[in-house]
Amino acid sequence: MELTTISRRNNVFVKFGNKFWRSKYLLLMILPAIVFYIIFCYVPMYGVLMAFKDFKPRLGVWNSPWNGFDNFVRVFEEPKFWLAFRNTLIIGSVKIVIGFLGAVTTALLLNELRMIKTKKTIQTIVTFPHFLSWVVVSGFVFSLFAYNGAINSLIKAMGGDRTNFLANKNFFFGLVFASDIWKEAGWGSIIYLATMAGIPQDQYEAADIDGATRLQKIWHITLPGIKPTAILLLIMSVGGVLSAGFDQILNLGNPLIREDVNIIDTYIYYHAIVGSDSAGVGTAIGLFKSVIGFALVITVDRIAKACGERGII
Amino acid sequence: MKKYQQLARLPLRPRGSSRDRKIQGLDVIICVILCIYALLIIFPFWNAFVISISTEDAYLHSDLLLWPTQLDLSSYKQVFADKNLWSGFGITMILLIGGTLYQLFFTVITGYALSRHNWTGKNLVMNMILVTMFFGGGMIPYYYLIRDLGMMNTIWVMIIPGAIDTFNMLLMRNYFASLPVEMEESAKIDGANDIIIFVKIFLPLSLPMLATIGLFFAVGNWNSWYNAMLFIPDNRKIWPLQQVLRTMIAKVSSNIENPEAREGYSEGLTMASIFFTIVPMMSFYPFLQRFFVKGIVVGAIKG
Repeated sequence: MELTTISRRNNVFVKFGNKFWRSKYLLLMILPAIVFYIIFCYVPMYGVLMAFKDFKPRLGVWNSPWNGFDNFVRVFEEPKFWLAFRNTLIIGSVKIVIGFLGAVTTALLLNELRMIKTKKTIQTIVTFPHFLSWVVVSGFVFSLFAYNGAINSLIKAMGGDRTNFLANKNFFFGLVFASDIWKEAGWGSIIYLATMAGIPQDQYEAADIDGATRLQKIWHITLPGIKPTAILLLIMSVGGVLSAGFDQILNLGNPLIREDVNIIDTYIYYHAIVGSDSAGVGTAIGLFKSVIGFALVITVDRIAKACGERGII
Repeated sequence: MKKYQQLARLPLRPRGSSRDRKIQGLDVIICVILCIYALLIIFPFWNAFVISISTEDAYLHSDLLLWPTQLDLSSYKQVFADKNLWSGFGITMILLIGGTLYQLFFTVITGYALSRHNWTGKNLVMNMILVTMFFGGGMIPYYYLIRDLGMMNTIWVMIIPGAIDTFNMLLMRNYFASLPVEMEESAKIDGANDIIIFVKIFLPLSLPMLATIGLFFAVGNWNSWYNAMLFIPDNRKIWPLQQVLRTMIAKVSSNIENPEAREGYSEGLTMASIFFTIVPMMSFYPFLQRFFVKGIVVGAIKG
């Protein structure tokens, strides 16, 4: 009798305890993840406080004195930062557009190619560069566009003069876009190819009966078929527009044009890690970037939903 | 499992309705465009290869090196005698094997735990993880975290922080969640605990998925240089291959400032080193391609 009253009184706790104990092995499996995310994701998030502090490494984040928005003011007064910001927007948005067009075009061409063996080989070739690091790709770019490189030799053979492409920041943007297409278009096409393969065949059969040409079928069936996937991927890529590719810019850059072609991330690296800007300033830039990035994702998601598409949030 | 194997093949499947019709003009045009595209992909490889087996004289004075005029393997001799490259290769092999297994272990157990529905606090943990996909501290706080953890200039900085890749972890979770839950229930009735169920039932069933994720981790480790550049500035002995290569390429890019002043045939050496790093991947890729394709297709459909 006594026992039942006790167990009834503690019912909630006992139940909770039992459930907890029953799943002890699963909890054991999740424990490393909790520790991992707290240390490597949440501690840096807490470190964002540095943006509002005059950070002194020996005092730590908590004990460093507050300095309000001084770090932000210092960043926003720096013309080189605004140059980096502008470069980021240009490089990031152009890369989204050309990346999308490149992937869809490649997918359409591969989808329409009916020689299966050739198709397989070409697909292997064009997806491979995705697995190279930007270190290697920058080596290729240098080998092609260097003063004595292949492109210059070709120009010279055709009677022109050698140009130092890599020292000219106007060419640099072109190289960034070209190398990005070279590396990622083939890989990006896979997702669209898979989507195209999922389009119901009867739509094409019905179009055949109505006497549609191949181009008409592409325009009226294939492209609308990949539209939801395309919009989803575009929304996801907009969030990364301010990232613009740290690896790529860092590796393709060289001391001559480095300061002119900085993007936000390389700016942080060259100024706050390699250079003499304070950690607070570097953190402030990072925070500025992630706030804008987050706002962009929300905005694009809302717009997509307003247009009747499936969002991501 | 069948379902995923089918998905992996999807991109290569011909469109049924047009298969039996004869080749038209459009097919020829498409084929030509794609072949040109493939050649544009191959050309940088070929160009780099030719530079690596040519003499400096040929590199500087021929019009367009489409074919090596004088065959010269001294660049490769230099590469194979280069201590830095071999030490980088050794470190990269450690990352490739140790790092990949380490990442696989933690990513998979986390994915499994999150795929089971019956434990306390799961939603909290799940939300805690999802938040990190949208917010982050940024480069500088992370830099000071690594410094405070005492991982600067140690090999651990290239392994430990990579334990869980959120995207692949969610991929794994979705895969486990798609397997029939009845298997777990019947094993529970037979007295198995969660660890036994995971190791004996779910793990063997998910080997293809494990291979896919493991390969992505392996490529990431093979290409790893970012952590070394940021956190191992002073300890060249533990630089991975890609970081060693990066410094060599930086030397070539210093030719950019003053193209006429040259010291040694650094282009040939660099291109030979590039092949030293990419040949292993080039030789495996054609056989492993389907696993990679599967990863991205499943990820996109599920995620």
